[in-house]
Amino acid sequence: MSFSALDFRAVHLPPSVGQLRQEVRAFLAAERAAGTVLGRPDSWLTGWDPEFSRRLAQRGWVGMTLPRAYGGGGRSTLERHVVLEELLAAGAPVSAHWVADRQAGPTILRHGTEAQRNRFLPRIAAGTCFFSIGMSEKESGSDLASVRTRAERTADGWRLTGTKMWTGGAHVNDHAIVLARTEDAADRHAGLSQFLVDLRDPRVHVEPIRLLSGEHTFNSCRLDGVELADDALLGRPGEGWQQVTGELALERGGPERFLSTLPLLTALVAEVRRAGGGGPEQEARVGRLTARLASLRQLSLGVAAASAAGRPADVQAALVKDLGTRFEGDLVNEVREILPTAARSDATPGSFPELLATAILHAPGYTLRGGTNEILRGIITRGLELSR
Amino acid sequence: MSTDSPTTDFPAADAAALPPLDTAPATLVALARDAGYRGAPGPLAETLLVARPLLAAAGLAVPDGPLTVASGPLEVRFAHVDTGSRVGPRGAAGTDDALRVSGTLRRVPWARSADAAAVLTEGPHGGPVLLVLEAAEWRQTPGANLAGEPRDALVLLDVAVPAERVRRVPAGLVREAAWRSGLARAALIAGAARRCVELTVAHTASRRQFGRPLSGFQAVKQEEAKLVEEAALVAASVEAAASALATPESAEFPAWIAAAQATASVAEITRIAHQLHGAIGFTELSPLHLATTRMWSWRDEDGGERSWQQRIGRYVLDGDGDRLWPSVTGG
Ligand SMILES: Cc1cc2nc3c(=O)[nH]c(=O)nc-3n(C[C@H](O)[C@H](O)[C@H](O)COP(=O)(O)OP(=O)(O)OC[C@H]3O[C@@H](n4cnc5c(N)ncnc54)[C@H](O)[C@@H]3O)c2cc1C
Repeated sequence: MSFSALDFRAVHLPPSVGQLRQEVRAFLAAERAAGTVLGRPDSWLTGWDPEFSRRLAQRGWVGMTLPRAYGGGGRSTLERHVVLEELLAAGAPVSAHWVADRQAGPTILRHGTEAQRNRFLPRIAAGTCFFSIGMSEKESGSDLASVRTRAERTADGWRLTGTKMWTGGAHVNDHAIVLARTEDAADRHAGLSQFLVDLRDPRVHVEPIRLLSGEHTFNSCRLDGVELADDALLGRPGEGWQQVTGELALERGGPERFLSTLPLLTALVAEVRRAGGGGPEQEARVGRLTARLASLRQLSLGVAAASAAGRPADVQAALVKDLGTRFEGDLVNEVREILPTAARSDATPGSFPELLATAILHAPGYTLRGGTNEILRGIITRGLELSR
Repeated sequence: MSTDSPTTDFPAADAAALPPLDTAPATLVALARDAGYRGAPGPLAETLLVARPLLAAAGLAVPDGPLTVASGPLEVRFAHVDTGSRVGPRGAAGTDDALRVSGTLRRVPWARSADAAAVLTEGPHGGPVLLVLEAAEWRQTPGANLAGEPRDALVLLDVAVPAERVRRVPAGLVREAAWRSGLARAALIAGAARRCVELTVAHTASRRQFGRPLSGFQAVKQEEAKLVEEAALVAASVEAAASALATPESAEFPAWIAAAQATASVAEITRIAHQLHGAIGFTELSPLHLATTRMWSWRDEDGGERSWQQRIGRYVLDGDGDRLWPSVTGG
């Protein structure tokens, strides 16, 4: 029996990566001093700062793996991974460019025409073009293939009608990649296509949906007969399912799937130290979390190394995401045990009770976004069936 | 397997099967994992990952055969007292490091199958010593862990240990003995965890209830996935520690992590494997217990997850500045 998930090989980061890590840390230290990096949990979801994204891009840390010919950095997957983990560990405000960097860029590179690549990739890498994900709908969550948004052929393009839900950042971003049905097919995975949609189009109606914390990141996105030119089609008509599956693999495998709440643990460590250090119970609990964090990080590096080597990593990515997002929530509960503190959203921003409140109020999202953990476990056991 | 006939199912480890001394450290970890997977008899992990490297680091000759390791307080005297010495009372100095040793070392792994033991104890000079005892020099009282693996008591009655088998060692070597033992046990646990996964996946595929294989039920799939995940986490931490052995000065923290993670994951891995096996896994009819009873012992044999977690937590909480993330990334 072969279990790829258990045949883990340690990842050796090349020495150049150590240098890069130090550069990122120095950059983050300067940003922290300037008050732009605040060590906030879940900053990749809600830390929206286009100026910060641009400064990162100037360093070459957005669109790092895109080819130089399209304005990218031509860097390796592992180098990008190291930059991401440093940004996440620091709780940096990376949400503006996150989706563009993580999935829109690579998807356009893979499936886009030459004209589409030239149009979008240089701006993505410059940190001036931000993307949203247009997958989910009210009736289509886990069962994504059931989307009802339709694109009909017109004389010179497509007409898009439907309503996308939970569209993060649609009110501030520039474009979305929208999954729509272009053909009714007996096989429900056939007949889907992806489109590049300008979120400023007057027929795109973006309405806020407030999170339980009152924050605005989610939207509903009503596509009211949006007229699209031919070149808005991304990839091939009818192959949207294969494309979106590839996009989801990019969305699932990254270090944001276990590091979302690390800044809270960092804050806790500082808090305990300020109080004169921890007793054996606190030490053991911090140690347990640290061991799990370090082990998860190895698994996550393994996903990056596998995709860098062109090996399929979807099962591995699902595994890291289920373990990692459960860890994100577990960390919050543990932190409350280690240093019992009443969470308060109205405490001084950046204070421990306020960071704790943010981590708690965001907790329901960790194990839902990007495909729920129950669905991911299905991917893992399907992987087992294949290896039986 | 019953606890009073612990080794009868397996042939004992034999010296010819041991890899050469210059084998790459990562390969040694892989061999220990494999031993854990098979529930192999004999002190293989102890020999390869603990005793041999410690003896070599201390500049002691490494005996050929299987070795075990032990530590604890003993009565230790200089064999050749320097009567002319003015340092302290009579007996406080020797003309050489030859010792006479008495006392009991408890729960020593596979002592009955080992040719020699690497023993760490406090020397008569007041600091740690590492010494090699040969099997003929001890009497053993049999004992066993939850899986029936030998954990014998070694009784030493005024054993004369020649100076060439004794070294005074720095405190760093005592620490190294601890993290090496933790890593050895973590590698064994990683192997046994894989066995739990394989047995469980095979069982849920072949066992039918309600007219279909157990593996077809959502509730079973959800638990099975968590089982694979937890085992993968252990594998990743052990492999990372194995690859860190190549640079010994930065090998300690990854070994702590592997030890802490492997020991902590035993509960979840064994819980799910047993639950999905049903009653047969609770019996000797299924080989599952060969893996799980070992894991339940191994997790405790170097202090348990709590001691590893405390070591890590203390390191993270000590010192000034943020140590948490840099310790995880290794710098
Ligand atoms: C923070 C956050 C950000 C998001 N951002 C975006 C975005 O930008 N763009 C976008 O398109 N979408 C986004 N989403 C939506 C996300 O992809 C969906 O929430 C997710 O796919 C689940 O769909 P659902 O919420 O409709 O839940 P449902 O699919 O209705 O599931 C509800 C529950 O039932 C379980 N369940 C469903 N089917 C099965 C099954 N077959 N077996 C076992 N259990 C099952 C689920 O696991 C879950 O626990 C975001 C979600 C969150 C929480």
